[in-house]
This record gives sequence, C-alpha cells and structure tokens, in this order.
Amino acid sequence: MTMSRLAAQPTEVLDRSTKLRFRWNGKRFDGFEGDTIASALAAAGEHVFSRSMKYHRPRGILTADYWDPNLLVQVGDDPNVRAGHRRLEAGMDVRAQNVWPSLHRDIKAANSLVARFLTAGFYYKTFMRPAWLWPTYERVLATFAPGGKIDLDTPHRYHDKRYMHPDVVVAGAGPAGIEAALAAAAAGARVLLVEHEHAVGGHLRYSSSDSDQAVLAELRAALDASDVEVLTNSTVTGRYEDNWLGIVQRNHPIAVERLIKARAKVLVAAPGLIERPYVFSGNDRPGVITSGAARRLINLWGVKPGERAVVFTANSDGDAAAADLARAGVEIAAVIDGRDHRRVSSAQGSSKALQAVVAGGNRIEADLLVVAAGWTAPTSLLNMAGDRPVHDPAAARFFPSDPPGNVLATGGLAGDGTLDELRAHGAATGRLAAQRAAAVAHRLQAMTARARPVDGDEPAWAPDERTPLGRDPHPELYRSDTHGMVDFSEDVGSKDLVAAAHEGYDSVELAKRYTTSTMGPSQGKLETVNTVAAIAEARGETIAQVGTTVWRPPYAPLTLGALAGRVFEPVRVSSIHPWHEANGVSTIIAGQWMRPDHYGDPAAEVRNVRTNVGLIDVTPLGKLDLRGPDIPKLLNLLYTNKWSKLPVGKVRYGMMCSEDGVVLDDGVTGRLGSEHYLMTTTSSGAGGVWEWVENWLQTERPDWKVHVTPVTTAYVSINVAGPKARELVSRVTEGVDLSPESFPYMEVRLATVAGVAGCFMWRIGFTGELSFEIHAPSGHGLHVWEALMDAGQDLGVGPFGLEGQRIMRLEKGHFIVGQDTDGLTLGPSTGLNPLIKLDKDDFAGLPELAWAADRSLPMIVAIQPDDPNVVPDEAGQIVRGDTNEILGRITSARMSPTLGRSICLGQVEPELAAGGTKVTVLLTSGERVSATVMDHHAHFDPAGERLRG
Amino acid sequence: MLLVPCPNCGPRNSADLRYGGESHARPDPATATPQQWRGYLYLRDNPAGWLWETWYCRSGCRRWFTLERNTATNEFRNPPIPGDKRGGKA
Amino acid sequence: MTGIGRRLRRRPPKYSAAALAWRGMRGDYWPRIWRDTELKSSYDAVVIGGGVHGLATAYYLARNHGITNVAVVDKAYLGSGASGRNTAIVRANYLTPEGVAFYDRSLQLYNSMALDLNINVMMSERGHLTLAHNDSSLRTMNWRAEVNKLQGVNSCVIGPDEIKKIAPALDTSSHPRYPILGALYHPPGGVVRHDAVVWGYARAADYMGVEMHQKTEVLDILCEGGDGPDGKGPGGKVVGVRTNRGDISTPVVVNCTAGWAGLISAMAGVRLPITTHPLQAAVTEPVKVFLPTVVVSGSLHVYISQTDRGELVFGAAVDAVATYSIRGSLEFTEELAGHVLELMPGISRMRLLRQWSGLCDMTPDYSPVMGFTPVDGFLVDVGWGTYGFKAAPVSGEQMAEAVATGRTPKLIAPFALSRFDSGELVGEKGAASVGH
Repeated sequence: MTMSRLAAQPTEVLDRSTKLRFRWNGKRFDGFEGDTIASALAAAGEHVFSRSMKYHRPRGILTADYWDPNLLVQVGDDPNVRAGHRRLEAGMDVRAQNVWPSLHRDIKAANSLVARFLTAGFYYKTFMRPAWLWPTYERVLATFAPGGKIDLDTPHRYHDKRYMHPDVVVAGAGPAGIEAALAAAAAGARVLLVEHEHAVGGHLRYSSSDSDQAVLAELRAALDASDVEVLTNSTVTGRYEDNWLGIVQRNHPIAVERLIKARAKVLVAAPGLIERPYVFSGNDRPGVITSGAARRLINLWGVKPGERAVVFTANSDGDAAAADLARAGVEIAAVIDGRDHRRVSSAQGSSKALQAVVAGGNRIEADLLVVAAGWTAPTSLLNMAGDRPVHDPAAARFFPSDPPGNVLATGGLAGDGTLDELRAHGAATGRLAAQRAAAVAHRLQAMTARARPVDGDEPAWAPDERTPLGRDPHPELYRSDTHGMVDFSEDVGSKDLVAAAHEGYDSVELAKRYTTSTMGPSQGKLETVNTVAAIAEARGETIAQVGTTVWRPPYAPLTLGALAGRVFEPVRVSSIHPWHEANGVSTIIAGQWMRPDHYGDPAAEVRNVRTNVGLIDVTPLGKLDLRGPDIPKLLNLLYTNKWSKLPVGKVRYGMMCSEDGVVLDDGVTGRLGSEHYLMTTTSSGAGGVWEWVENWLQTERPDWKVHVTPVTTAYVSINVAGPKARELVSRVTEGVDLSPESFPYMEVRLATVAGVAGCFMWRIGFTGELSFEIHAPSGHGLHVWEALMDAGQDLGVGPFGLEGQRIMRLEKGHFIVGQDTDGLTLGPSTGLNPLIKLDKDDFAGLPELAWAADRSLPMIVAIQPDDPNVVPDEAGQIVRGDTNEILGRITSARMSPTLGRSICLGQVEPELAAGGTKVTVLLTSGERVSATVMDHHAHFDPAGERLRG
Repeated sequence: MLLVPCPNCGPRNSADLRYGGESHARPDPATATPQQWRGYLYLRDNPAGWLWETWYCRSGCRRWFTLERNTATNEFRNPPIPGDKRGGKA
Repeated sequence: MTGIGRRLRRRPPKYSAAALAWRGMRGDYWPRIWRDTELKSSYDAVVIGGGVHGLATAYYLARNHGITNVAVVDKAYLGSGASGRNTAIVRANYLTPEGVAFYDRSLQLYNSMALDLNINVMMSERGHLTLAHNDSSLRTMNWRAEVNKLQGVNSCVIGPDEIKKIAPALDTSSHPRYPILGALYHPPGGVVRHDAVVWGYARAADYMGVEMHQKTEVLDILCEGGDGPDGKGPGGKVVGVRTNRGDISTPVVVNCTAGWAGLISAMAGVRLPITTHPLQAAVTEPVKVFLPTVVVSGSLHVYISQTDRGELVFGAAVDAVATYSIRGSLEFTEELAGHVLELMPGISRMRLLRQWSGLCDMTPDYSPVMGFTPVDGFLVDVGWGTYGFKAAPVSGEQMAEAVATGRTPKLIAPFALSRFDSGELVGEKGAASVGH
C-alpha cells in the first residue's frame, strides 16, 4: 500500500499554507494545519503505525478516526494518544508504542509463529509448575503489557471544571443532532450541542456530494445564528443518575482536557453509527481499511489511500467510497458487493503490506481493501440510562428499546432514512426534548414546592409522536468463510471466541472475560457485535439470543487530570497560624486542620508549662452555641450525666455515647446565661456532633426549643496554662475578677481580653495546670495571642503545641476519644462510671449502657513500665506471659518530662484492670517488658491540686 | 449524582447532603427488650424497591427529612417530610 | 488433591504447557469447563449464588466431605456479581486476631490454589502497602502490624524512604495535602485473577459431580414449621427452593448472594443486619508496568494496583447511599482521580477507560455473618462487604464443614448471626476505615 497526498480537495480541512514539522520515531516529517497525526503520516507514505498486543503483528490505519485501535501512539509524555483523531501540532514528538527494538523490527513478532498455542486464555492453563518459577513468568508476561510509557515527573496541572444546567444536551452534531439542537433552542430551551469530532456535520463532512455540502453549510449557518452552545472535540462520556452528564472537552485553550458536568433535563443521543470491521483472514493487515477511513482520508485530508483497490461493499457508504476512490485516482480492481452474497475471504501479502485479496476463489492483486460491512450502534448513553437495545437481524444492528422519557435517540442510532428524513426526525426530537424539559423542570419544582412555589399547572408529558425512522435492510455480515481478527486492541480472533464458546465460556460475559475481547482501549466500539456474532455462530444461536454486553462509562476515555481537577480539600488553619510559622512551628495534619505540633522541643514546652506558663492554640476544638429554654433537656439526652442543675457561669464535663453505647465524643459545656450555653466537642468530632445534635432536635424532640449554631471557626481558642497563668491573664483582662474565690475551677465568664470584648473565658484545661481557656472572636485571635505573649515575657511565657499537650494530658491520664477508645469501646470501659447516670429517663445509648453494667468489659487503665526508660510503642500489645495471647494494648505512651519516666494508657481485659496488676508488654522490637497497672488514670497530681490553684 | 428533593432548598445534588439510611423508629428505651433495641440498632429491611429513608441537607438548610426512594431505580416519589424519622412507618 | 471422598466422574483433562501444545497442534477444542445439565428435582444441598463463595462452598463440600449431590444456582452467569467486579486484592493483615487467623488461612489456600485446582489463578504475591497520612492512621498501622506479628503474619510499618524504594511513583515528599508518613507493608499480599478462581472452583467441583446452574433465579425458599407466614422464620426448617426453572427439594440451602443476601434471607424469614451498597471500581488504559505493588490509602479511600496487562485498577470505599443500582457515578471517578493524583501526581495524563460497580452486603461491624440461622437447614455466608474475595477459599472450606458436620467450625464462630442479639460485635470495625 502506498498512500500519498492528493491535490487539494474541495471538502478538505487542511490549511496547506501552514506546514507543521514533527517527529515520528525520531525522524522528521511534515504535515499541514488540519491534519491528524495519522493523516500526516499516511500522506508521507507511512503505513505501519503500531504492533498488535499479543502477536506483535504490524498494524496500519483501519478507521482513521478516534476509535481506530491501531493508531495509539505516544506524543511526548502523553501515552495512548489517538493519532486518528489528535490534530497535528508543530514540534510533536510522536513515537510508536509497545515495540522493541523498533516498529519495523520487533522481536516479539516471533510470537505469531506460535500463535496456535497462544490461544485465548492460554495463561490459565500453564505456568503452574514449578510454582517457584511463576513470579518469573509473571515478570515476562508483564513485559507484554501494551500501551505507552508514563513519565512519572509529569506535573499534575489542575484545571477547574465547569458546571452547566442546560435544558437539553444533544450528544452528536450530525445532521439529526444539529436539527435537534436547533429545534429545541427555537422552542425556548437552553441547549448544549456536543460533538466528538473537531467540527460539526457528522458524515456530511466527508461526503463529496454537492447537495450534502450545501446542507452542511446551511446547518452551520443556522447554528451560528442560534443560541445553541456548541462544543466540538468534546464527548459526552457518561449519563448518570437523573441525567447528570460528564462531558470531556479536549480543545480547551488552557486545559489539556476539561471536565464539564451538566444536569440536563433531557438528553438527546445522536452519536451516529460506527462502522464495523469484517472478520476474515488477514483483516488486520495494513492496507485493509473501512469505507469511512477511505472517505475521510480522501475528502478531509487529501490523502490517497492506495494505488489499486478492492472495494467490498454492502451499503451505500461503501458505494460512495468506491466513487471517492475512483475520483482520487485509485484504480478500482474490483467491487465485491456484499448485498449479492459475495464475500471477501482473505487479505494476503507480506507482513507489512497488502498484495492481494481473495474473494469468491479469485485472487485479485491490490494494495488496498476497502470494507463496508455494516454498522455498530453506539448505544452507550442509552445503556447507561437503563435501556437494553435489541438486535434487528434485518438491519444487522441494534436499536434502542425503551429508554427513559428524558433520554431520546435520533439519527442513525434511531434508524435510517434520507438526509431529509434524518433531519426531520432530529427536529421533531428537538421539539419533543424542549417540551419534556419544561415538564421535568416543573416536576422537580413540584416535589419541593415548599422551597419554591410551583408556577402554573404541570405541563403535560409530551407523548412521543415522532414519525419513526425506517430501517434499511442490510446483510448480516460479521464473519466470512475464514477466521480473522475480532478485537484489534486485544489481538482476539474469531477462532479464539469459537474455542472459548466450545470450552463452556458461551455467554457474552464469560467469553469476554475469558478472551478479553472488548476489554481493551477500543472498549467494544468496533468489536462488540463481531464478538457476539462469533459466539452466536458457535452456539448456533442468533445474536439476539446471545445478547450483548453492557456498555459502561466513559464513552470515550478521559485523563485522570481532567477528572481530578483541583482537589477541594483545603487545610484549615487558625488566624494565629502566621505567628506559629514565624516562630519555628512544626505542624501536624489533624483531620482538616493543620496544627502546631511543637516549636522545637516539646519536653521543654511541657516543663515551661509546669513551671511558668504556656499558650496553646486549640482553635479546632468544636464549639456549638446553644440558645433556648430546653437546653438542659437536650444535654440530659445527649450526655450520659446530668445537666438539669448547672448554674449560670458553671462548666461541666460530659461524655456522649452512641445508641449502641460506644463512646462517641466528650467535652465540656458551660452555661453562659439562663438560656445560653456553649458546648465544646473534640476537634475531630465537631462536625459529626453538630449533625447528631440536630438530628435529635429535629426528629426525636421537635417540640424542644433549642437553637444550635456551630461557632468552631468563629472563635479562636487559646489555652493559657501553668502556675503563672492567672498572673498573665490578669494583665490583659478587663471586667472579670480572676481570683480563685470568685472565678474557681470549672467556671466560665464573659471577658474583655487585650481590648477584645466578647471573649469567653473558661477555667478548664487538659494539661492539669491552672488554666484559662479563652475563646476570642477569630478576627482578633492573632492580636489576643500576641498580647498574651507580650504581656508574659517576664513570666517566661512560651507556646506549646499538640505534642506537649498530649504529654501533659497523658500525665494526667485523660483519654482521647478515638485514640484510647475505638469503635467498640463502651462507656463504662472509660472508667467514668460515675458519669453514666442510668437513673435518667432517657439518653442516647441508655439501654446498652444499662445492660453493659452487668458485663465485664475491657478497661482503659494507666500503665507504667517497670523500667522507667522504656517507652512502649502506641499499639504495643499486652500479652499473656510468653504466649501470643493478646490481653490488651497500649493506646498512648510517652516519656514524661515531669516525672522523668515512661507513662501509658492502655486497654486491657477486665482480669488485668485492677491497680497493681503486672502485665507483659510486647515491644515492636520483639522484646517483652513488664509493666504495672496503676490505681487511677492520673500519673501526675492525681488529686488535681494544681489545676484548682 | 442523585438529584435529591430537599423540602427547603429544592432539588440538590446528593453530594450536598448526608445520607441517613433507612428510616426507623426509636423504641422506648424504658421498655425495649435487648432484642427490640438491637433490632433498632442493626437490623434493616434493605428492600430492593421503595424505601423510606433519612437525609440531612448538610450544605443547605441543615434539616433532616425523610423521603421515599426506589432502591432498584433510584427514583424518588412523594414530597419529602422535614423533621421526620419514621417515614411511612408508625 | 488429597481430600477424602473424591468422586471423580472422569479424569479431568489436565491443564499444562504440554497439553496446550498438543491440542494446539491438533487444533482440538478443550472440553467444557463445566457441564450443562438439566436441573434435578432434588439435591442434598443447594448453594444460592455462583460466585467465589458459593462455588468454594460446593467444591469443599465435594472434596472434603464427599457431598456431591449439590447444585449451585445463579440468576445470571457464574462470577457475574461481586466475584467478577472486585479488584482481586488478597491480604491477611487484619486488625483482630479472629480476622487475621481467618484471612491467613485464606491466603494459604490462594497460594496453593493453582496446583490444587490445576488452573493458573495468577496469584501475584507482589506486596501490599497501606499508607498512613496522619499520626492516628500510623498508630492503627502499628496496631495491625503488632497483631499480625503475633499471629505469624508478615507485616511491618515502614517509613517514606522505604516506601519510595518499593513504589517510586508515590509522592513521598512532605508537601502534599496528604503526606505519606509511613505504611503498613505486607509482603504476602497481592492480587489474584478473580475470574480464574471462579472458573477453577467450578471446574473442579464439576468433576466431582456438583452441578452449576446458570440463569437459574431463586424465587422463593420453601420452609415448614416456622413462626412466620408459609412456615418461614425462626423455628422452621428448609424443605426446598423455588426457581424460575422449577422447584427443588433440599434440606440444606446456603445463601452466598452478597448484595442480594437480605432479599434471599427474607425468603426464609430471616432478617439480617445488612444494607446493600455499591462498591465502584475503574480501570485505566494500559501503560508500561511501573507500579510493582498494591497501594492502599484509607484516608483517601483508594486502592491501586497495576495488572500484568498494564492497566491501573482502582477501587474505593462503598457508596454512602444504599442502593441495588449498579450504574456507577461520575463523582466516584472524580474523587478517585483526585486522590490517586494526590498519591501519584505523575500519572495525570493516563486515561480512565472503564468504570463499573458491584453490590456489597455491609454489616454494622464490617465482619461477615456466617453459619447457622434460626431456620434449620438455612445457612448464610454473607455480610462480606468489601472483603469477600479475599475470604472466599476459607469461607467455602468452613461453610462446607458447617453443612457436613452440623456444627459451627471454630474459625467462623465469632461471625455468628447471634452476635447481633447479644451485642458482642467483632472488633474489625476499628480497622474498617483503613479499607483494602
């Protein structure tokens, strides 16, 4: 086969005045603006573009469009680029994929010599002995992986996505699709028209008929004059629930690809038809192309596809291809008409080029075989909408059966007809789509009428009164009297499928899985029907009996970069964060927050808090502002302890359990006014507890008057801890008597701090020291922090981070929900039984907690290793002596700078929970060390004298 | 992406809401037997068909509500009921 | 195969390179992998669900206990449900001793499966990395590693440098939103060719006399003596199964229907603690192999492996909304791609080729429900959620033992349905967030 460039064609899309220079396998080539990579190479005489996956057979152009399975190439760092579709750009570095050492001398082509043993699924039947060799076999098999190469240094440049809310989306801008879009827009609908190709027009684009070109010009002008938004080189990749559509736009000026998400009220599927290859011996030889490929090459890119052609045609498109070829100066050696029961039996030649075609027993010399054997209806979008298309043997393709009312098909998908009939059907579809879109909008509104009153009566659901398109008879041409390739991507032949069917893999899905037919990059676009036909033939059934596979999204592949876009998971920081950064903070990610972990030496931070005073930024602490008369009832319901008698100005600790009795959250809640409380939650529980509170209020106790406002980020939270905390806080606070008599432990006041009014000040802390926790309006947070730092210079004030706080809370034996507890830790396991008031009428988890009172449960206990220098790992297991029997685990462990020894919290089986019990802790090193369970949780200041100071 | 009819906000993408699962009534904790209570905690009808379920309009009005969805087809029917938890059940 | 009571109908045509060459030379077809037989009116046991669990149960009933008058019925084709839709990852690095012991046995059976079943299931012991992005998940990794070590399972926590050596595509620098602080490394973990497991069990069971019936949908379970209507429910017993191809009488029915488990159990009057959620997965176009291990991130809800064909296979957490629809969603692919690129920013030009979805039977404690039910003769092997494939061999082995002996084997005792009456759930819930 010799392809070459023709003189300018009237319909071509080339700008011959702009030459584009590029590289193909390292060699320099030229093409024109408007060429695809493949058309430029074909015009330059290239005819082998890839090697097949398994047998490494040379492959040339087959369909010359996006779906061409033989035209996957590497362009720079971009693998698997569709050379039949991708527009040529100057400077492109294009390479063949999956070849070694080169496209023309590929060593693995030797596989074709043993092809008869490499039947489908051969790998399931061998490589089993000796078992130790399998990893080696596997490595060798992996070298056969097809596809391009990933450059791991490729940066992920994110592109934002676009959201659209059109009334009607038309997928496919052939004549029917364009008419549908125009008619829907004329009826007042907002319309988006999406075309997979680089330009609208469908098959008219490569038609050499003057009348077709006139219609195309008319349609383009009408589109230009309309309000229809047109996206070319874009594909509706999926139809999801409620007509949620994914659309990939490949020609965005900035993004490599952009994902558009559209909620269409009605989707019109008008993708046209995909030409189906014919199965015969040698059908994958370079030089065998589809009729569409021939017409596109000639009419769009001015490429002469060969010198001497045989045309096998069973339809008008094949006839048109023959005419185009003749006009392009290709000698027509023979036209074999499939409608007369004539067949092509084989394509013969050298490994890389076609030399002759055998048909009806005759050998015809030719370097080109053009095949028009029929169509595959790409029913993907209908499948995704739940439709199960049915096969019509008389027309030799599938047709829609019963898609939902908000999905309409038109164009070739719906039937055949003259151009006028197709246009009329498209226009009728557009009008119907617009009517139904209005009804859908009304229905949605009616469902939620509370949100927005409904305007007028619901429009009637427009019945489908379109004049159906006809169905042209077409011979059922799937396989000739020889065997050939079915799935070009996967190197699966009809022989493989027949063998699989005989072996019992006789349903489409089993055969597909066994042979991998339709599983490769073409995803069934070309090979689904031939796959089904081969199985049907082997079983002696019809295609309809065998059925088809379900087309799954995406309709066309799209890059991970487009799907990902920007990751909308920002990290939260408090308004004090700039100070932390300026002061050598080491941060830690905790949930959504980035928090100060320490400022260089956590142990020193602890010592400073224990001797002087320290500040910690605890802004992520969950904060809920509660207002209303029924708050005590709510707190009684959510916490395990009692809240009815909490006076104004007092604060209380509480534990929440889920309905299954498992510890859910904990924190303190204070009463700020007669009907005003502030609830705090754990940092990680902030969001969940809020929803939990709302759920109880809205669904279980809707009559209670409580209003909840989450204020976590409205306030910056600063804990001032240490023996000198009162002195420090008093220097910046107005309006509150801070003396221990008038503001004792576990109370709350409204204060002005550093001139900032409206700060809540609590006398609580997690560190066991005298503490003041200040919640200041976020905007003033940094100011308050800096004021405290300035005011405390002479007191030795310093910051401390999460690590210091964790050490100090462990010294005090406070457990952390989610670290010292887990998803099955029941309330009583915390040792806080006095806080579980089983005599209350009701609270979340009450029955389980009541029943749990009689059970012996694992307990959270304080543990000290007998060797004070050994700090077990968090997660270190507590085992029975020298055995591997697990009796518990260490949940928290640190070296205590205060006590100069290691300290832990752990969960142990009840038999080990008593103070003084000796336990064995297994270190990650494998060493077993002995440790002692303590009488109470606090390792330090168990009486709590310091914090009350 | 399901289009969930929120009673206050109108149709919303399901990503804007939290799914609360099958609607079911909470037994009286004073009288519930372990079997009844654990049925409430763990057992579900899980039908392939119409199901009353609970949603929370997390990014919108912050209302919990119930509505009826067909778990085989993901269609909704009937207007949602705000503040409800039991759905069609007593 | 050394099991007792083997009743071979005929010698299986052995799979081997030599046999492949011989048939290749002669151009012979291989015989059917399992027979196509008429549905009989009576069986000693009926297994509902022709996935890996059902087929393994039938295989071990025949191989280990000589019970061969067994039918496996499936409403579609064998392996059409979750067995053919999962991401084929196997591992034993669970959190609880019960879980570890159970999955470790499963892994052993997978390792010897190619020789036991004489089909290459392509067990690829390529190692399994579970990444930790914060100190709390690192703590959970340590916890798992410690429990694993005590159970003799090879797993350990490694740092970013070692992770980078094992999987260079991962971004182990400190700047991402989800920095990689460490990982639980489990060298015996890997992937298996899931379809081959389905076919291997079916073929081996077939040769021992078990019948596989595809396109056979169970419409009802026939019971008598129970508290409920039609003799169903607690206190009753199973007497048969009604299918679209006729009634079968049988004293034993084993429910292995994953996402449909609740519907099938309801036919016997047994209520389950199960909700059905889709689990989605996706695959990219192939590129040259660059990812040698399985990579999992619990925080990012993603797991990744590269097939020998070069495709990246992605999985995620189950969808939040309960549904029997398996259409899949766009947002799944968006979130997936975002999270994958967080871990491996260099693959943004790879293209997503196909997405699919399967149904998972989720339980409140992320552990299965196995064994006997209040209806005599009705056994369940359900509630597998997202872990079913990993557990198939051992589940089949243990369920077969339960059927054959009438007693609950020790290995599955923690997974009894009755635990939801006593409230003593299995602790795997603590590890559930860390996923696959």
